[in-house]
Amino acid sequence: MLKVENLKKKFIKYNSKKQKEEFYANKGISFKAKEGQIIGVLGPNGAGKTTLLRMIAGILEPTEGTIDFDGLNFQKNEIEIKKKIAYLSGNTKIYNTLSTYELLKMCADIYEVEKDKIETRIKEITETLNMNDFLYNKIENLSTGQTQRVNIARCLIHDPKYYILDEATSGLDIISSQIILEFIKKEKQKGKIILYSTHYMEEAENICDQVMMINKGELMKEGTPEQIKKETKTTNLRDAFFALIGGASNEE
Amino acid sequence: MKNNLWNMLKKEIREMFRDKKSLSMMLIIPIMIPVLVIGMSALFESQVNKSVEEYNKIGFDYQLNDVESKIAESLQIEVSINEQKKLEQEYEKGNLDLYVTKKDHHYIIHGKDNETTSYATSLTDQFFTLYKEHLQQEYLSDNHIDPEEVVSIITIEEDIKATENFYANYIISYAFLFIIMAITVSATYPATDTTAGEKERGTLETLLTFPIKSKDIIIGKFLSVTLSSVITGLISLILTIVSLLLANNMFKIYNGVNLMLPLSSILFATIVIIAYSFLISGLCIAIASRSKTFKEAQSALTPIMFISFFPGMIAFMMKMETTTLFSMIPFLNYTLLFTDITSGNINFLHIFLMLLSTIVIIAVILSVIIRQYKSEKVLFSN
Repeated sequence: MLKVENLKKKFIKYNSKKQKEEFYANKGISFKAKEGQIIGVLGPNGAGKTTLLRMIAGILEPTEGTIDFDGLNFQKNEIEIKKKIAYLSGNTKIYNTLSTYELLKMCADIYEVEKDKIETRIKEITETLNMNDFLYNKIENLSTGQTQRVNIARCLIHDPKYYILDEATSGLDIISSQIILEFIKKEKQKGKIILYSTHYMEEAENICDQVMMINKGELMKEGTPEQIKKETKTTNLRDAFFALIGGASNEE
Repeated sequence: MKNNLWNMLKKEIREMFRDKKSLSMMLIIPIMIPVLVIGMSALFESQVNKSVEEYNKIGFDYQLNDVESKIAESLQIEVSINEQKKLEQEYEKGNLDLYVTKKDHHYIIHGKDNETTSYATSLTDQFFTLYKEHLQQEYLSDNHIDPEEVVSIITIEEDIKATENFYANYIISYAFLFIIMAITVSATYPATDTTAGEKERGTLETLLTFPIKSKDIIIGKFLSVTLSSVITGLISLILTIVSLLLANNMFKIYNGVNLMLPLSSILFATIVIIAYSFLISGLCIAIASRSKTFKEAQSALTPIMFISFFPGMIAFMMKMETTTLFSMIPFLNYTLLFTDITSGNINFLHIFLMLLSTIVIIAVILSVIIRQYKSEKVLFSN
C-alpha cells in the first residue's frame, strides 16, 4: 500500500521586482492507494500534479509530510523503494545513443533482474509492446510513439509494484496512447498500484478507480469518478472539475 | 551496489565512445604534439644556423686597405663603400645589414636594434678584433718585439662539457606542458557532456529515478572522464617520445644529446599523467555539474584551461625547482615533477606528496559533488 500524508512542497520564485517569494506547489495532500488500484491525479497545468508525483518518485524532497511504501520511506530505504517504482512522464528522456535492446539490458542490470531471466524478460516485453521491428535500432532514430513504447518497456523490465505515470500519453497519437492505456489496465489486473496524472479528464474517467482533483496545490476532491460526478451533480469529470473550481479555468 | 557503479561506468563509457565530439577531443588533440615538437625544433634550428649571407652586407664610408679587405673576404663580408648619407639610405632600404663610419682611429658601427643587425654586429666585431690583432702585431714587430711572446703571454683553453642542451630542455618542457593542456581539453568535453549535457537532454531526471546511489552515479561519471583523460595523456606521452626521437635525428641542434627518455622517466611520467587526469576530471565535473546547460558549463570551464597551463609555464620560465611545498600545490606540482622526471632527478618524496595532495583534493571535490547530486537542486537549480 502507498500512503501519502500531508505532503507539502515549497519553492522559491522571483516576482516582477526580482524579489524572492515562497510558494507552495502542494499544500498538504494526503491519500492512500491499494494494490490493484489506478489513482487518477487530475488538474490543469500548474495545479501541482507533477510536483506531487516527482515527490512520490523520489526525485523531489517534500518540504513536509510523509510517503510510505509498504512501511518503507525514502529517508531510510531510498534504494529499496526505487527498485519497486517505475516513473514515466510525457517528458521523460532516455539515452538516445543506445539501442532499445541495450537500454533494456542496462535497466535490467541496474534493477538487478536475475541474469538468467533478463533475455526472457526482454523478449516478453518486446512482444507485448510490439517492438521487434526496432529492438536493435538506436533510440535517436525512433519516432515519438516508438520512443514512448521503449520508455514503457524500460518501466516494465523490473516488474515494479508502483507505477508513477505523469501525463504519459501527452503528445502521443491515438494508437500510441491506446498502447499505454492497455498496458496500464493489464498492470492493474496484476495487482500493481498506479498513479496516473493527466489533464485529459475523459481518459481518467475510463481507467481510474479513484480520482484526485487538484487545483493550485490543494486536493479539492477525492473519490471514484461516479462519486465525484454524483456529488457535483455533473455527468462527466470535466464538468465536475469546473463545478468544483467555480466555473473558471485557472490554467497558467 | 558495487554492481551499479560498474553499470554506471559501462553506461558512461559507452556514451563517451559513441559521441564523436568526445572521441575527437580524446584522440585529435594529442596529434598536435608532434607538430609542436617538430615545428619548434625547425624554428630553433633556423635561428641557430642562420646563414652568413643573411647578415653580411656591411657598408663602409672609407676605402678598406689590403689587410682589411682580406679579413672581410675571410669572414665572407660583402663590402659596400659609399658616403655616410648614402650608406644610411641603403641601410633604411634594407640593402645593407649594417654600416661603419670612421674618424681618424675611431670607428662607429651604425644600425638599429633588430635580429639581423645583432648578427651583423657580431660579424663586424669579429672583423675589427682580427684587424686590431693585426695592427698590434705590426706595432710590436716595428718595435722589435716578438709578437708571439706578447700574444701568447697567457693561453686559454676551453674545457666546458655539454651537460645540457638548451633547446632539448626547452622542447621537452614545452612538450610536457602540452600534454597537461591536452589532458585538460580532453577532460572538459566529456565532463560537460556527462553532467550539464545530461541535465540539458533530460536524461538526468530518468537517471535519478533509478535505484542507484548518488555516490555510484558520480564515481561512475568521474571514472569515465578520467579514463578519457588518461587515454589522451598516454597517447600524448607516446607521441611526445616518438616526436622527440624524430627531432633528435632530424635537427642538428640536438647533436650530442639523447632525447630518448629512460624507462624509469617514462614510468614516472605516466604516474604524473594519471594523477593529473584524476584531478582535472574531478575538477571539471565539479564545475560543469553546477551549470544548467552545456554552453554554460563550457564557459565556466574556460578558465580551467588557463589555470592548468600558466603555473607550469611560469615555473618553467622562472626556472623554479620542486620543493616540498611546491610538490603539493596542484597544477604547479605536475609541471615541476615532469621537469624533474625528464631531467632524471626523480625524488620519491615529491612524487608521494603530489599523489597525496591529489588524493585529498579529489576526495573533497567528490564529496561536494555527491552531496550536490543527493539534492534536488542538481535538477532544478531555479
